[in-house]
Parts: sequence; C-alpha cells; structure tokens
Amino acid sequence: MRRLTAILQSLLRSGLHGIRSSPVTSSIAILTIAVALVLAGGFALLVSNMSGVLERFGEELQVVAYLEEGLGEAEARSLSQSLSTVEGVESVRLVTKREALERFRQTTDGAALLDGLEGNPLPASIELRLAESQRTPEGLAVVVAAVSGLPGVTELAHGQDWVEGYARFVSLVRVGAVALGLVLAVAALMIVANTIRLAVYAREDEIEIMALVGASRSFVRVPFLIEGTVQGAIGGAVAVGLLYGVYVLALPQLAYGLELVLGNVSPHFFGATGSLSLVAAGGGLGLLGSAMALMGWRSAS
Amino acid sequence: MSRGERHASSGAFGDGAVRTYHVSKSYIAGTFALHDLTLEVKKGEFVFLTGSSGAGKTTLLKLLFAAERPSEGQILVLGRNIARLRASAVPALRRRIGVVFQDFKLLNRLTIEDNVALGLEVVGTPRREARARAFRLLKQVGLQHRRYHHPLSLSGGEQQRVAIARALVNEPEILLADEPTGNLDPELTIEIMDLISSAATRGTTVIVATHDHSVLERYGKRTIHLEGGRVAEDTPAVSGGES
Repeated sequence: MRRLTAILQSLLRSGLHGIRSSPVTSSIAILTIAVALVLAGGFALLVSNMSGVLERFGEELQVVAYLEEGLGEAEARSLSQSLSTVEGVESVRLVTKREALERFRQTTDGAALLDGLEGNPLPASIELRLAESQRTPEGLAVVVAAVSGLPGVTELAHGQDWVEGYARFVSLVRVGAVALGLVLAVAALMIVANTIRLAVYAREDEIEIMALVGASRSFVRVPFLIEGTVQGAIGGAVAVGLLYGVYVLALPQLAYGLELVLGNVSPHFFGATGSLSLVAAGGGLGLLGSAMALMGWRSAS
Repeated sequence: MSRGERHASSGAFGDGAVRTYHVSKSYIAGTFALHDLTLEVKKGEFVFLTGSSGAGKTTLLKLLFAAERPSEGQILVLGRNIARLRASAVPALRRRIGVVFQDFKLLNRLTIEDNVALGLEVVGTPRREARARAFRLLKQVGLQHRRYHHPLSLSGGEQQRVAIARALVNEPEILLADEPTGNLDPELTIEIMDLISSAATRGTTVIVATHDHSVLERYGKRTIHLEGGRVAEDTPAVSGGES
C-alpha cells in the first residue's frame, strides 16, 4: 500500500510538472478545450432552459372541453365524472356558464363588452388537468383523442400544436448542440493529442533516463495521461467561468431575444451537477487526447 | 526481495552473471556491430571491455541492459534470456542493473538527490525513504553537501559521481559503465574508477567499457579486447588485480 501510494504520488508530481514545464503549449490546450466547451456548453445551457419552458408549460398544461349549449347541470356533472376516469387525466373541474361569465368579468378589461349582450354567451366547460407522466406532446395527444367526439363535448381547447412545435424546436437545437459539440470535441481532441505528443518529444531524454533506471511502461505513460486530464479539467473549469461571465454580463442585453424563446420563464445557469459535468467533460477530452497521443508511441528503451 | 535472495533465485544459472552464446548484432544487412560473440562474466567479477571506436563495446553493453536485442544468438543476464525477454519484463531486469554513461544522463530539472532517488521512486519507494537512501549514496561519493544542487551547476567529475550514485542506489547485481571517464581529466578518472571499483568489492559484477589504457594498467582486471565486433583477446586479471 505504501509503495502504491508512493508510486501514485510520484506519477501525480510528474504529471503536474509536465504542465508547469511547458506553460505555453499547456495554455493553448487548456484554452482550446475551454473554447470548445464554452460553445457546446452554451448550447447545452440554451437547451436546458428551453426544456425548462416545456416543463413549466407541462405543469400548466390542460385540456378544456367546451360543452353543448343546453346540456343540463346534472348531465354536465355526469360527463365530468366520466372524464375524470380517462387515462392520463389527473383531475377535472366543471366550470358552469355562470362561473365562466364571472371569470370573464374578473379577468378581462373589456367586461363592458358584455353589457350590450343579452343572456350569457359563454359555454360551460370541463377543465382536465393532465397527470405528470402525460405532460408531453404525445401524452397530450392521447388525452385529446380520448375526449374529442364524446357526446356533449362541442370543442376542445389545448396547446397541442404549440407544444409540439416548441418540442420540435428544442429537439432541433439539441441535435445541433450535439453535432456542434462532437465537431468541437474532435478538434479539441486533436489539439490536446498534439500538445501531449509535443510534450512526449520534448521529454524524450527524460523518458529514456526513466526507462534506464527501470521505470515501467505505465510509470512513464501515466504522467502524460494525468497531464492531459488535468489540462482538460482546467479547460472545463475555465469554460464554466466564461459561460457564467457571459451569462451574467450579457443576460440584460439578450433579454428581448431570450423572451422570444423562453417566454416568461426566467433563464437559469447550470447547477453544481451541470458545472461539474462540464469540468468532467473537459477532463475526459484531455484524457482521451493524451491517450491518442500515446497510441503507437514506443518509449525509448 | 533482498539482494541475497535475488542471488539465490538465479543460482540455477551457476556463477555466470552474464553469458553470451554466438551473439551477433547487425544494424545494416551484411555488416555486424557484434559477430559471433561468446563470453561469460562471473558474478562479482570486474571486467574491462576495450577496443577502438566501433569495436562493439557500446553495442554489447546495450544488449546487456536490453536496450537492444541480438540479431542472432542468446544472451543470459542474471538468468534472463535477453533475446526472448518480453518488453514488459525489461524494467524488472533493469532494476537489477546499474548503468553509467559517458554523458552522465542526469535530469537537469531535478536536484542531484532527486536524480539519485529516481531509481528508487520508480519502484514505489516512499519519497522520504528514497531521499534518505539517495543521501547515503551521495555521501559515499562525497557529494552530500551538494544534495540540493542541480546537475548543470556541477563539474563533469561531480556529475559522473552523481550518475554512479544513481546506478548504485538500488544495490544492483551488475554495474555497467560505458566510457565513464571519457569526458574527464586523468585525476578525476582515477577518482571515478575508484568509486566503480569499490562497488565490485561489495560483490557487484562490474563491466566497464573504456579505451583508456592507463585505467586498464592501473586496475589490472580481466580485459576483453573487441575488434570488429569479435573478441580479439581475453586477458585474465593480473595477480592482485582480481576483485
């Protein structure tokens, strides 16, 4: 155990020394990873916020079934009762004609419009709140299909088209983010691999001496993997910092544009898990890049 | 494994620390750096390899610490067949062999104490213990007061003493030295050769490649003279010169 600890300490020291000994090339690798992750992370942030809109909308998602004029209250209650048993419906609420009129008066500035009308033109309705599992475009479609055409129901109101359109847009942005992320990740990998390759060449004498005194293949290689991973993780941390800076500084300037995509949902930044994932992604890129650099390389023996 | 145990474990191979059987090494087809070389060096023996440049001294030493593989023939070093040694087994063999070069091969970024400790750190010796042992070795070569200096601030002779300390820090069973005094003046040559010679008195098998005749005469050890990659002459140690 003592030996293993000593070996690990020695490998870590050697790996960190690699970064300190070539600050310029290390900085280039760190910045490349940071830039790649800022762009990919920016998209991820946008997707995360847009998904938030869908979630929020889902919470408020309901189907309103307008009832036939002349349907008696007892029949309406019976219909309401039967709609509550439809799969995917969490709760139902019957809104009578009187209640509808009352609501309209309270929520509309143009209540005066009603003064000129005789009687109550507003229909009774049943509001169906969807179960949590059903708050998706697909779930909504299932409930709509089950309710439409039922006797006593004249019309259904729901945001299905809007939800589907928005979900498609979110998917598109997500696919774009993944594609862009992949392209940037490959570019970052190449640069890290080349940086590590340069470090290997620059330290060939050192590697030769280590091999000479009996260092194993892993003892020689692991420090380079550590070096790449640390560079990547630092790049990830820099990306989180840059994104946060942009988020804080540019948010007021982008408020109008964001309102178009996010509506009245206030934007949010990555939480601890999201930020750590970005750092881990950087570390992973660095590790993979250095592993690529070491592939096919035979240490001087 | 202690040194005594390591000696015992290779006892099945007799007294030979190094045995070569019809070894040839060719870098370019048709020309040989070594040609049909057969020799034996016993455990604890002190042997000089001599010959002009290109005679094959360095090639032979490289074969002995598995930096090269023979083109033909077999080489047994401490009971391991170099010709068939897996790459993954090379580090373990090298930990039993100390090597000293003409150009010292020290890491300039490390202090001389860390240079000496390197051989211990690669096998997982805790840093503090490795440094303590490195300090003892530096004391043996008279450089304890410069433990925190870096190699480039040392003279050539001092750097070679550090290289010898590094080669000996693992208590190797074999010490190989390739022209260890090639860059040094005569006084320093004697100093360095005395250090190497003292390792032999502690039971280490020592093989030194040199073309310095004054060294050969002074120590009077067994001398293998190479010419064109072949053994031209194998002169036994003179009386009193045996280790």
